[in-house]
Amino acid sequence: MGRKFYASISVVVLLFLVVPLVVHDTFYLRVITEAIMWIGLAVTWDVLAGYTGYLNFGHGAFFGIGAYTTAILMVHKGWPFFAASIAGGAMAGLGALIAGIPTLRLRGAYFAIATWALARAIQQLALILDITGGPDGMRLPPFLQPGFFFYVMGGTVLIIFIVFWYLFEVHPFGLKVKAIRENEDGAMAMGLNPARIKIKVFIISAVPTGIIGGIYAYWITYIDPSSTLGDLVTDQAVVMAVFGGLGTLIGPAIGALIISTFKTYFWAYLSDYQVLYLIILGGLIALSVVFMPDGLWGTVYGKIQNARLAGSKEKR
Amino acid sequence: MGHPVLNVQSVTMAFGGLRAVDDVSFDVKPGEIVGLIGPNGAGKTTLFNVISGYLKPTQGRIFFHGDDITGKPPYDLAKIGIGRTFQIVKPFAGLSVLENVMVAVLLKHPSKKNAEANAHAVLEFTGLLDKAHMPASSLTLPGRKRLEIAKALALEPSLLLLDEVMAGLNPTEVKETTGLIQQVRDRGVTVLLIEHNMRVIMSLSHRVIVLNYGEKIAEGSPKEVAENPLVIKAYLGEEMAV
Repeated sequence: MGRKFYASISVVVLLFLVVPLVVHDTFYLRVITEAIMWIGLAVTWDVLAGYTGYLNFGHGAFFGIGAYTTAILMVHKGWPFFAASIAGGAMAGLGALIAGIPTLRLRGAYFAIATWALARAIQQLALILDITGGPDGMRLPPFLQPGFFFYVMGGTVLIIFIVFWYLFEVHPFGLKVKAIRENEDGAMAMGLNPARIKIKVFIISAVPTGIIGGIYAYWITYIDPSSTLGDLVTDQAVVMAVFGGLGTLIGPAIGALIISTFKTYFWAYLSDYQVLYLIILGGLIALSVVFMPDGLWGTVYGKIQNARLAGSKEKR
Repeated sequence: MGHPVLNVQSVTMAFGGLRAVDDVSFDVKPGEIVGLIGPNGAGKTTLFNVISGYLKPTQGRIFFHGDDITGKPPYDLAKIGIGRTFQIVKPFAGLSVLENVMVAVLLKHPSKKNAEANAHAVLEFTGLLDKAHMPASSLTLPGRKRLEIAKALALEPSLLLLDEVMAGLNPTEVKETTGLIQQVRDRGVTVLLIEHNMRVIMSLSHRVIVLNYGEKIAEGSPKEVAENPLVIKAYLGEEMAV
């Protein structure tokens, strides 16, 4: 498992380093950067949803908090980009701490509703405040280097992925988190404090989301309440993670790659039919929940495992 | 020393007008196996939930090795040495048997390597080693009951609360589990167990406490309790006792 993991990571890193050398077309570079961004958003959403069972329907708020924090610090305070985006992550983490203490005690749908409502509240706040530019949004100092953003976005998401993999699949922390998902009462008898662990996971999910938001803001150079704090950010991350397969790290990454590619091509080549995008997205998610409850990766991986089991039994 | 392991002082647990546990007091001394019996609905599991921190008692206090633990949450109690099993078993279904036990072992052995070695030892002791890599959801009921005990033991508790770990087991399995509990006690763990199987209670317990309608109606050696007219009345009804 370990060696395989390092091998596949090295392949990914290598591919990643080569991409800008091969892809000269800025459009494609942009498409790939965006796909990577969605991988980051889907995976960060899934660590809470898939590993603790809490569906956060306000994930986009962390993205927006990161974007706005970065924009405000760069525009009004003259902070350098890297420091500002890390501050964006910190603010998102702080938001998770404040939002998590009351809401993570709620179970099931109540948590989903509470996070959704909080995200709407934050969006409204961005609409009325002066510092955020209200509905006009904010313009960041333009830095038109697609290659730079490709590396920054890709590097960040890669680090997120590796850290998550270590935390949730290697370190005992992951086992504790899964125990709480499987049975909260049972986990308490094992000395685990569910509230504390869930808040940790919530923060672990929020901080990188904020950083990604910060990178997005500087990359796109313009943010407004609906593009960074709207429902769509959350919805797409949710759809990607569910489509790919909850509770794994690879599933949401695959889901994000497929759906984000689909989205880009749809908007680029079928822009006359933009209305259809959300309809198709909604249909897709409904179908995948009904026919592939474990998601694409879960279904495929399950088949492979079954085949392996059958194979090993025959050998005996 | 000197302190009893567990000291329950006039504990009452009321749900609205219903007093599920009504002014119950008792001690459990180091190295004892104490049986807690009573007809269905007598408040045994409620009392367990109070002792292990899942419910805050309406009145009364609970002391563990002399320290007041009333109202402390379950995870803090697990840390100071109270292990419990659940009558309705609570396995981490999606995890393997080994991982289930590791979650508990991590409390005392935070490094993963140590945890794995210790979990193996616990599985060997409880006879689950051959199922270590099976998902917990694939275990049969006896296996799940045994996993409950394994998880509680993996906490290395000084007091073990066992809630009907024999229910649903066949006579051979009951004998095995009885032996297991005796071994646990020989390792220095104090045991309080809820049990319906009278043969088990009679052969295992040093002392028996009887609850009925939330009240303690008798306490003594298994023999004394079995001959107590109040106990016979509670179990068999008015006419038989007369």
